[in-house]
Amino acid sequence: MANSYLTSESKKLATWYFTFAAIIFGAQLLFGLVAAVQYVVPGFLFEILDFSVARTLHINALVVWMVFAMFGSVYWLLPDETGIETVGVGLGKLLFWIFAAAIVVVVLVYLFIQVGPADETTIWFIMEGREYIEAPRWADIGIVVVALGFVANLFMTGIQGNRSGIVTVLMADMIAFAGLYLAGVFFTDNISIDQFWWWWVIHLWVEATWEVFVGSIAAYGLITMIGAHRKVVEMWLWIEVTMLFGSGILGLGHHYFWIGTPEYWWEIGALFSALEPLPLVAMFIHVLYDWGRMQGEESAKGQEESVITNKPAFTWFVLNAFGNFLGAGIWGFFHTLPQVNLYTHGTQFTSAHGHLAFFGAYATILIGMMYIGVQGKNGIKVMNNTTSTIWATSMIVGGVVGMTVALTVAGYVQVLVSRAQMGATWAGYFDGQSGMWFAQGMDWRLAMGVVTFLGFLFLVKDLLSIGKATHHKR
Amino acid sequence: MSGDVLITQDILAGDFLTIFVSSALVLVFGGFYVGIYTAVKVNLLKGWAMPFGYLFWMLAAYCLYLMGSLMHVNNFTAKALVVAAIGLLLLPHAVYYMQDRVHEENEH
Repeated sequence: MANSYLTSESKKLATWYFTFAAIIFGAQLLFGLVAAVQYVVPGFLFEILDFSVARTLHINALVVWMVFAMFGSVYWLLPDETGIETVGVGLGKLLFWIFAAAIVVVVLVYLFIQVGPADETTIWFIMEGREYIEAPRWADIGIVVVALGFVANLFMTGIQGNRSGIVTVLMADMIAFAGLYLAGVFFTDNISIDQFWWWWVIHLWVEATWEVFVGSIAAYGLITMIGAHRKVVEMWLWIEVTMLFGSGILGLGHHYFWIGTPEYWWEIGALFSALEPLPLVAMFIHVLYDWGRMQGEESAKGQEESVITNKPAFTWFVLNAFGNFLGAGIWGFFHTLPQVNLYTHGTQFTSAHGHLAFFGAYATILIGMMYIGVQGKNGIKVMNNTTSTIWATSMIVGGVVGMTVALTVAGYVQVLVSRAQMGATWAGYFDGQSGMWFAQGMDWRLAMGVVTFLGFLFLVKDLLSIGKATHHKR
Repeated sequence: MSGDVLITQDILAGDFLTIFVSSALVLVFGGFYVGIYTAVKVNLLKGWAMPFGYLFWMLAAYCLYLMGSLMHVNNFTAKALVVAAIGLLLLPHAVYYMQDRVHEENEH
């Protein structure tokens, strides 16, 4: 795609990040499909690409493509928000190539070397072995360097340019995002202590810094796509930040129920987990409020036209508000209190929650940002949907919701059979997995995974071709 | 706060479905409540819809009570759930009030 309408180097760099993110998104779905097939046909790719490797690649690719798309989103919005070109954009480009090259090497090592001798060389050069952040230590250090370079660019630009509320929140949020990764770089001999710190990365990224990031991007999107008033939107943003950090940070307690941490975490986890859905409800109101207000103002002027200037992106932003509420809110809430988590912990319920929450809370809004990038690149004033947009959106959403329902059914069987009836015993574990409902749940998860992947292919086609469609207002 | 206080009693196998459905409905009804409240306030819905919004909050609060009862939550968690229910009731009021003030200041 030509960059003919982009004059900002920062926005050009953003499109690099979006492109690489989309490629890794595809890889995430492919490795997810391999793992899903292995639940149905356990011998599939045995000793070639075992479930453990496919799962590692599936989850790591998820984290990596989202981080790339987040960096891209920030590089996209910085010139608009600060009124100046991003400071250090040359460094940003260099860091992009270092980051991309490191990811390619890590993936190749995961694929072709897979396991090491379980000593220091494995930790440094193959993988560290902790879920979601398995990257070997050399890559860990590289990621820290790249993240700090990104944060430096954000700070230098924010300090020199107009520091809007959105940029201020992002500056605080991204330094926490980069700093928290350090908690996942070192090991301790005691596995409880090790897990204690590991959750600082996983939980505090996902349920604190990433959610605040989503709030900032939603604020930017509402200003650029429906012309929402900046003061109103930024007021919302501060409320959301307060609520998200207020409930999200100590919501960490719901990961400390069963890892050997002191029992007071049960009470802390119960209280703050009960409060965690509230900011998600607030974010849902946020979008509805601004959309209703702006459309109402236009209608009062006698304008019947929609106020939305990028319909595909706005669709994904609205899906984000609902998806965050559904995936993180509902699917999180119903197994988060310790009394019920005792039974649901480690079952397919967790997987159902993970799929819908990551998709609803993050994938949706990042896809929306990709469409905003396409709109800017092609100099489109009002971008409309295409047939591919509709196919992509409905198939991806339908596929992920289908997977979530299938995994929830499978998880329910595990709760009843493996935990409630057979008391989390060895025999209970296998009985839970051999039942008809569990097996059919896995079949349907695979089928819905294929639907999601087909939807992704439509999405790629749409992102590559929608800019050339003639029914937009230019 | 010891373990035997928090987990007071096993959950009955027959109660799990009700627990999962009622906890999901807490947020579904809660979503309807804040959605209707906001939609009425921004004139997307007529004023007569507002009582239905509060009805949905009552349903959400009942589901929270049902869920907590079937889980046999201890006193502390029961209080946490009450705080969450009141928080949900007040949330759209507080947020709308602040938003509206900012909106007014911005326009006038």
